[in-house]
Amino acid sequence: MMTMSERALMKRVAAGDTEAFTELVDHYGARLLTLAWRLLGNRADAEDAVQRALMRCYSSAKSYRPEWAVSTWLYRIATNVCVDELRRRASRSALHRAAEDTADDDRGTLQSDGNGGERAPWRRLDLRRALARVPREARILLALRYVDGLSYGELARVRGITINTVKSQLARGKSILRAELTGGRRRPARTEPTRRMPTQGAE
Amino acid sequence: MTETAMRHDEIDEMLVAYFKPVPTAADLGRRVLAGLRDEWDPERFVARVAIEASARGVTLVRPGGRARPAVSRAAKRLAGLARQELFDYLEGRRSFFSVPVDFSRLAPFQREVLALTHRIPFGETRSYSWIARTIGRPEARRAVGTALGRNPVPIIVPCHRVLRSDGALGGYAFGLPMKTRLLGLEQATPVLEGCSTTGVVCRVGCRAGRRMRDDSRVVFASVADARSVGYRPCMICRPRS
Repeated sequence: MMTMSERALMKRVAAGDTEAFTELVDHYGARLLTLAWRLLGNRADAEDAVQRALMRCYSSAKSYRPEWAVSTWLYRIATNVCVDELRRRASRSALHRAAEDTADDDRGTLQSDGNGGERAPWRRLDLRRALARVPREARILLALRYVDGLSYGELARVRGITINTVKSQLARGKSILRAELTGGRRRPARTEPTRRMPTQGAE
Repeated sequence: MTETAMRHDEIDEMLVAYFKPVPTAADLGRRVLAGLRDEWDPERFVARVAIEASARGVTLVRPGGRARPAVSRAAKRLAGLARQELFDYLEGRRSFFSVPVDFSRLAPFQREVLALTHRIPFGETRSYSWIARTIGRPEARRAVGTALGRNPVPIIVPCHRVLRSDGALGGYAFGLPMKTRLLGLEQATPVLEGCSTTGVVCRVGCRAGRRMRDDSRVVFASVADARSVGYRPCMICRPRS
């Protein structure tokens, strides 16, 4: 736990200490990027979103209140940015979405994964497809839960919901995953994933 | 692995692998800081803008100079409201304008072009030719450009959301840097915000939302999403999407 020192770090960021800010970015950058990437589906959008979120963190560091864990506060800001990006996409034309969907790829991660050897890529693709079937709010909670192991209380604070809602959403998300992954295996393998709704894969 | 059902810990393991952190660019922090060096100050901008209104709505927004005195109490109130909303919008605290616009002094063609432009949603863009087609005058692309160029109520009637068909910016009365800035601002301002204290979801800029504390703000991607975790839509701003 580095919560004590993190709060001190935030104090320095609020005072305009750029070194403290860089330290914070170094500490959380990778997890924020993963969160954004998994929610948005491609690296370019994820990098944009993280950059925007971090800019917001820096400029509103003064409004950070120490009763929040720094991680909770950061994830709230980053999630808000990503969620708004998802809304934006939903309102864009279908043509646009189809183009984006083909641009979206996972190869970058597969290669950068150290232990990619034993994890068969089809499992990752299956999981991605299954995650796309999980309702958005539950998917967001799953991402936050697995990117940084946030507690139920923290998840509740990040999304502004009750702990009971967090629990039921996570349980529902996982049961959908389980059904999709179990059922999906029996279906014959498809070379080309056919999606009825082009956005689902990207989200 | 069992063929019939996957165990929970197996799914757990897959999720952990899937969400394993990927390294960022080494200079991410520096890049963010560099992006912040923008001298733009909304407060100063709004203080210098001249705003005129009739009793029916805003008639003029101009980057400088003096506004003619308001003709009535209602007009004065609308001009004040427009100034407040402009400031909120430029601060990233508003995604729509509630202040009405008075198009009555404009020629019919320009009125039609601006009325349509007025309805382009926040954060989206259209092309000059889309406007020309939609008003049923596909050959009038150039005239559309002229009508928008003489938009008396820029920002509130969002002519900055109209770009050339090839994606180029086109022109802007306040200058191209301002057009880019407004488009960037709309990219960074969320539209649907819930208040975690009241459990109500509003369009950003709703007067109910103004009382929201900063750490109560939660962004949602749709009203349906917000409902799915127990929020209800605001009765004042009535968010739809």
